[in-house]
Amino acid sequence: MAFTRINNKMVSAQIVPGQRVLSQRGSMLGYTGEVTFQPNLMGGQGGVMSMIGRRVANEDTPLMTVEGHGTVMFGHGGHHVHVIDLVGDTLYVEADRLLAFEGSLQQSTMFMGQQGGLMGVVRGQVTGQGLFTTQLSGKGAVAVMAHGGVVELPISPGLPVHVDPQAYVAHRGQVTNKLSSALGWRDMIGRGSGEAFQLELSGQGMVYVQASEVKL
Amino acid sequence: MSYPPQPNNPYGQQPPPYPPQAPPPGYSQQQYQQSYQATQVGMPAPQLPPPGGQFGAPLLQAPGGEGPQVWDPHSLPADDNVNPYCFSVDLNGAYYLQKGKMIAYYGEMRFSGIGRGVLDRVLEQNFNSPLHASDWVVAEGRGKLLLADRAYDLNSYDLEDGNLTVRSGNLLAFEPSLRLKQSIIPGFLTLIGTGKFVAASNGPVHFVEPPIRVDPQALVGWADCPAPCHHYDHSYLHGVLGGIRHLTGIGGASGEEHQYEFIGAGQVLMQSSEALMAERSVGVVGEQSGVPHQQPAQAVPGLGNLGNLGDLGRRFGL
Repeated sequence: MAFTRINNKMVSAQIVPGQRVLSQRGSMLGYTGEVTFQPNLMGGQGGVMSMIGRRVANEDTPLMTVEGHGTVMFGHGGHHVHVIDLVGDTLYVEADRLLAFEGSLQQSTMFMGQQGGLMGVVRGQVTGQGLFTTQLSGKGAVAVMAHGGVVELPISPGLPVHVDPQAYVAHRGQVTNKLSSALGWRDMIGRGSGEAFQLELSGQGMVYVQASEVKL
Repeated sequence: MSYPPQPNNPYGQQPPPYPPQAPPPGYSQQQYQQSYQATQVGMPAPQLPPPGGQFGAPLLQAPGGEGPQVWDPHSLPADDNVNPYCFSVDLNGAYYLQKGKMIAYYGEMRFSGIGRGVLDRVLEQNFNSPLHASDWVVAEGRGKLLLADRAYDLNSYDLEDGNLTVRSGNLLAFEPSLRLKQSIIPGFLTLIGTGKFVAASNGPVHFVEPPIRVDPQALVGWADCPAPCHHYDHSYLHGVLGGIRHLTGIGGASGEEHQYEFIGAGQVLMQSSEALMAERSVGVVGEQSGVPHQQPAQAVPGLGNLGNLGDLGRRFGL
């Protein structure tokens, strides 16, 4: 495992020659050894078209490639850091929540319309995920950021999990998500419960939820 | 009212036991009487098993505790953390603290600006940093003083004839036996001598040993080792691709071109990066030859106007 947890807001990564780590720009806290930080032209995600799409949608997150040999500490903005180990499955996470991940992971961009067409786009806008989300698949570790600590909620068939869209961090596995709304006449007159929209995740997998409703 | 209040009788009457004792269902009469008698004579109530619910099942409790703990002037720790975010100073005399970090106190104390009291004249000999004088106050008196800072983790450190340099915004309070000076790194303060001080950090402090290079934002302070030097690294701007990157700004900068490099023996204190924390104003050292002074804000040398295209450039990939 590439990432070692130092405390709830910092992780350290062992960098060895030949294995790169990608991280958000500016998230390095300190390092020992000889390590270089190279800004990643593409934003790292998908092909050229996805790069342009993300930039037009103003959803690109600048990444940098970390190479060399040594130990690098990562953390950003005082946010809590959660390390997720992927063993061949797929993690769906918003790109600006990515702190660092191993270069062995395959990275691609998913257009929200691919999951449920127009509703997917609407869902992306409501949840603050935007039009695109990032997929990481393969074998390796990911460090994601959250405001407040992270809880893992397992999703199993027949037991869907409902999550506040603002507290949603990431999910993994074979999961379909849909936006369920509980809008009623109370919301129309401004007496709503404040929980009109929920993200319903069903299938088999895991959802990561932060203990805060502050978006990064 | 005198401080400290008399033990056993802080408010002139015996506080009623809380919660009011009533025999929970399924609870034997004998145990109940025992606990009743114990509270009558002022002894701590014996540990009762958690009261059962309606069907004898234990009631739901928050994991790790029974709820908020109630402190009084005697149970508050002396010069120790109340919880990770709050520190209790057992004040007897004077203490320097940064403005706005006091959240509560017991006892009799007075807060005055530096250089306004009688005692201050003496104390001011320890305060060799006139540029910071407006950020600090002196607490004088006796009592328990509670300090906190934006839910940041607080830690106290004991110096024994040592020196430690800490980011000025992160230093909360220090004993007058320490002397405060300005570090030659702008925005940092150096404490010299023997005594205790309290500092805040975003997340727990992580100690590392040199040699290490640290992002300026992640640096809380350092102890014993020599002052750091700047380390610039923009090697990716060399070569053909690097030249294009340099001239056009395509690809942007990694944001990690500049670090503080520590060498020698000592300790470096790190925190998670603090984008959310406002810098305290530290004033500017007058410009003289030989005195390092703060440069006007300026990009990393050699990077030119990289990234000056702003949001428009970023959207179109330039």
